[in-house]
Amino acid sequence: MADHSVEELAPTPGDRATRFLKRADVKQTTLFFIFWTALFVVLGIYFYPKWMPTIMSVEMKSAEKIMIWFTVISAPIAGFVLAVATTAFMNRHRGDTPPPDGPAIRTNGPVVAVWTVTSLVFALVAIIWGLTEMNGQAVAAAKDAKSAITIEVRGSQWVWTFNYPAQGIETHELNLPIGVPVIFDVKSADVNHSFWPVQLGVKVDANAQVTTVIHTTPDKLGPIDVKCAELCGLYHAYMETTGEIQSASDFDAWVTAQGGHKA
Amino acid sequence: MDTSTENEVSGGKRLISAVAFLFLGVAVVSTVGFTLHSVSADSQKKAYATVNGTATVNGATLKHAFINESVFPDDATARANQVNRTNSHPWPFYTEEHLVLPAHSLITMTLKVYDSGEQLNTNYFAKVVGTVDNTMTVDGQQVSSLDPTGVQHTFTLHGLPTSTQDPLFVNVPLPKMSDAEMTANKYRTVVFSFVTGGAGDYVWNCEYPCGDGTYAKFGAVMGQNGYMSGKVSVVNG
Amino acid sequence: MSTLDKAHTSSRPVPNPKRSLITRLHMGTGVVVGIIFAALVYWALKNSLLTYTDKVADPLSPHDNNIVLLGAMFAWSIGFMAGIGAFIGPWRWLIGKDLTDEEILYLAGDGQGTKRYFKYCTDHKVVGIQYLVGVMTLLGVGGTMAMMIRTNLARPGGHFITATVYNSLVGLHGITMIIAMIIVATGPFGNYVMPIMIGAYDMAFPRLNALSWWVLFTAIPVLCSAWFLGGIPTGWTAYAPLSIQAGPGMNAFIATIIIFAVSTAVAGANITTTVIAMRTKGMKWNRVPIFVIGSTISVALAIPAFPTFMVSMIMTALDRTYNTGFFDANMGGSGWLYSNLFWIMGHPEVYVILIPGVAALMEIVPVFVRKPLFSYNAAIMGFAGIAGLSILVWAHHMYMAGWAPSLNGPFMVTTEMISIPTGLLFLVLIGTMWRGKPWMKLPMLSVFAFIWDFMIGGITGIYLSDVPADSYLHGSMFVTAHFHFTLMGAALTGAIGGLAYWYPKMTGRMLHERAGYISFWMVQIGFNVLFFGMFMAGAEGQPRRVVDYAALFRNSNLISTIGAYSVGTGMIILLWAVIHSWTKGKIAPMNPWGAKTLEWTVPYPVPLTNFDELPVITSDPYGYGKGK
Repeated sequence: MADHSVEELAPTPGDRATRFLKRADVKQTTLFFIFWTALFVVLGIYFYPKWMPTIMSVEMKSAEKIMIWFTVISAPIAGFVLAVATTAFMNRHRGDTPPPDGPAIRTNGPVVAVWTVTSLVFALVAIIWGLTEMNGQAVAAAKDAKSAITIEVRGSQWVWTFNYPAQGIETHELNLPIGVPVIFDVKSADVNHSFWPVQLGVKVDANAQVTTVIHTTPDKLGPIDVKCAELCGLYHAYMETTGEIQSASDFDAWVTAQGGHKA
Repeated sequence: MDTSTENEVSGGKRLISAVAFLFLGVAVVSTVGFTLHSVSADSQKKAYATVNGTATVNGATLKHAFINESVFPDDATARANQVNRTNSHPWPFYTEEHLVLPAHSLITMTLKVYDSGEQLNTNYFAKVVGTVDNTMTVDGQQVSSLDPTGVQHTFTLHGLPTSTQDPLFVNVPLPKMSDAEMTANKYRTVVFSFVTGGAGDYVWNCEYPCGDGTYAKFGAVMGQNGYMSGKVSVVNG
Repeated sequence: MSTLDKAHTSSRPVPNPKRSLITRLHMGTGVVVGIIFAALVYWALKNSLLTYTDKVADPLSPHDNNIVLLGAMFAWSIGFMAGIGAFIGPWRWLIGKDLTDEEILYLAGDGQGTKRYFKYCTDHKVVGIQYLVGVMTLLGVGGTMAMMIRTNLARPGGHFITATVYNSLVGLHGITMIIAMIIVATGPFGNYVMPIMIGAYDMAFPRLNALSWWVLFTAIPVLCSAWFLGGIPTGWTAYAPLSIQAGPGMNAFIATIIIFAVSTAVAGANITTTVIAMRTKGMKWNRVPIFVIGSTISVALAIPAFPTFMVSMIMTALDRTYNTGFFDANMGGSGWLYSNLFWIMGHPEVYVILIPGVAALMEIVPVFVRKPLFSYNAAIMGFAGIAGLSILVWAHHMYMAGWAPSLNGPFMVTTEMISIPTGLLFLVLIGTMWRGKPWMKLPMLSVFAFIWDFMIGGITGIYLSDVPADSYLHGSMFVTAHFHFTLMGAALTGAIGGLAYWYPKMTGRMLHERAGYISFWMVQIGFNVLFFGMFMAGAEGQPRRVVDYAALFRNSNLISTIGAYSVGTGMIILLWAVIHSWTKGKIAPMNPWGAKTLEWTVPYPVPLTNFDELPVITSDPYGYGKGK
């Protein structure tokens, strides 16, 4: 960030830049900038994948990608802000009297302009990224709609139940076949709930009288958790159940065991 | 405001004042905490299942434990049936709230039910789920589901899925009594058995809308611990 | 104003209008009249209105009880205001016998010592202190509830308290803290300091000022009564239809919000009018201190925002009492209508909270770095941009509601745009620090803490505002951690900085420094540990507002609880410092920080009319620095 209040103006912009870069506080800020940027990059890349549960759908993958990449992209901005703050902190003044006055920099047009444009570009990246992902998911859902199985999810205070109309079964556990698109028609028997099959990375509220819909396609075998993500009264915390993403044959066997039939 | 230095206290005194204040603060917060703790612990009387012999389920020999409960429409009916209880509200209730069950056992639960009933909000809870053979007996007759319009309450046991405890889900609908039967103080006996896994913490609640006239009839009694909800602890030994 | 102008002589007697009723009224009479009126209304409604609803159709109808309780709560508030004398002025004006000059002076409370803090006192400095004590009380109550929540969540099993009590704790902690945070900077500093900063004798409407505080005061016992009415199960968002199903405690919540909305509307009108109309000679808009700008934008944003909360609560109350079905889908209403009304208030509201905190820190940085505020224009543009955009983003709280999925895109655009004005706020802070040597006093420490905390809050906010990530994170602990970083890490840190900064002017003494430092580090380190654990729990998939959780979340929750205890201990130490220093602290000089804003040109105790002669302003207050 160029600073135009250097006491004596150097003859050429090149000289000014060189002189600027040689300043002690500029060097210090640069070091802190590298440190903080690296720290945020590492935090994003290391912690989120470590913390998040198994990724079992495209939707979950895109949530994780956003969390990691937005951290990485914003790391230099965060790094810069924190670097300037840290440099100031390092050059702090102690004692019971105020420090001597600093340079009277009222503003700096180019800095403000560059800063504003940078944050605009950053906001646009976030917006375009999000819209592209949303669009991709919507297109995929529309394409998959024909081959999808439909599950009617019902939230009642404080138990989830799942109706598989094509299979003719109703359960309190959510088992799904791998690789088959699934449409959840979500409804509530009473207050608002939020249907959250955790590892599938999708979520939608359950409301009385209206059906809300979400789509996903499980792409990994294994157990899943189903939770309620909207405070729904006394036993909201216990409104959880489990399920499993199964191979086609295991799923059929499970349906039969529940008293249903192949769709 | 005076400008003298009279008010300035010595460092030692100030430290004592600060530490004392800190202790006072912690004490106040702790008092509030333990008051809340004891207030909410009151409704958590434990009821233990008694082990009596063994049973064979699917080829495995398990301890067989028994637990009995009654479901009353209010404490007046309870008193008429020699169950002394004074609740703060005229609400229906299960006589036991915190059930303690042995792990890896067959639990046989006997419920005497006295209340009237109507339509369920969710018909799924009219099915018997999670018991041995998914059935129960009502006055000795084996059934696997009830008419969803004829349920008085349900006993629905569930919990948090967690890697450290076995899943356990039981749903038993309780058949309603007609008004005439209620007036005559009659009851039905519902018996069912289920198998517990390892130790763990679960909850039970009623899925019949027996709250007051507010939204979905899940207000009042359904919104409070006790009465129509409670804990289930499965314990080793 | 003219009365005070006239009264403005160097030696004036303490006014003592003997026969006037106003001299005999105070908080005590307010409480008595409030309780009597509430009891009367309770009795009347219980005995006459009960026959109104159809007992045959629904013998267990809880609706009558709701009417009785709501009636009694509003009666308490109105009765208290009558008992403290709030209606004497309007009444005397109505019958053509307006208050005498002597009575007006009496209301200003000059020379009445501590007594005036318990009276309907129109002096903005008294109101400021009342707000400060009120805010600290609310923060203490809300903080205690936070400790209960974290204690219960220290280990899985939810053994410490039951679900009923826990759910109430979550909701009441939320609303207590939201109310506290809305007034945390504009209440104490906006009332005490701001009129002096702009060179005014008092606020534009001194009696409305007293009204706003005492109305707010009446909301506190109403809110507390929720505990004795069975609590609330809904969280502070009070989503319908859960709020319609809720027990009698919900009435306390509804009444609190309605009373609080009246208070903020009055305070907002008063502060904006004061800043627009009463700046001293020469204080053009580009010379107004940035804290004044920030507070004004904040309250101006609150004026259109809060009425929708009030309306949504009135509609909830009607649904609960007269079965109007606004939010009941089974009767043709919609729960989404509630969510929309709520968040149309709810999102501007978080910026109502944030902006004054940031503005206070912007006031602090130039003083402690001894440099002009970097780009005053960017600061104003930042605040105005945030305020403008914040009314267009509400439905990002409803991405996963299923309400209008095709609106998610537009709302994502507006929400992400907020990062631009927010970035300007950071630029102003670090631009001011650039090449400066910050004077490491308590207020300045808060600036550094703010930058770190708000950075974390901001970055996590970016993922939450992107729909595909929110589809995983919505309703999880991650959201809870995010908004605590912005509201507590940023806004509360800003307010604590403001407290350390203006404490000498408000009490005449310096805040105890060492206790302040110990508290600062305990709170900040504890805070970061606490919400690091909560980010972890959220990313792992723990829903928010749960009394119990699966064993998977054991470690993250334990980390949070340890952090929470550190925050709690640090806050108690800060409270000690504030109480101790108030009477026993080092006597403060008139301008301990060497600042250039007007409040530091008046002595302590600040005279009734602040200035002997209104100052004339020739420049903005940031003329620090050498060169140029």
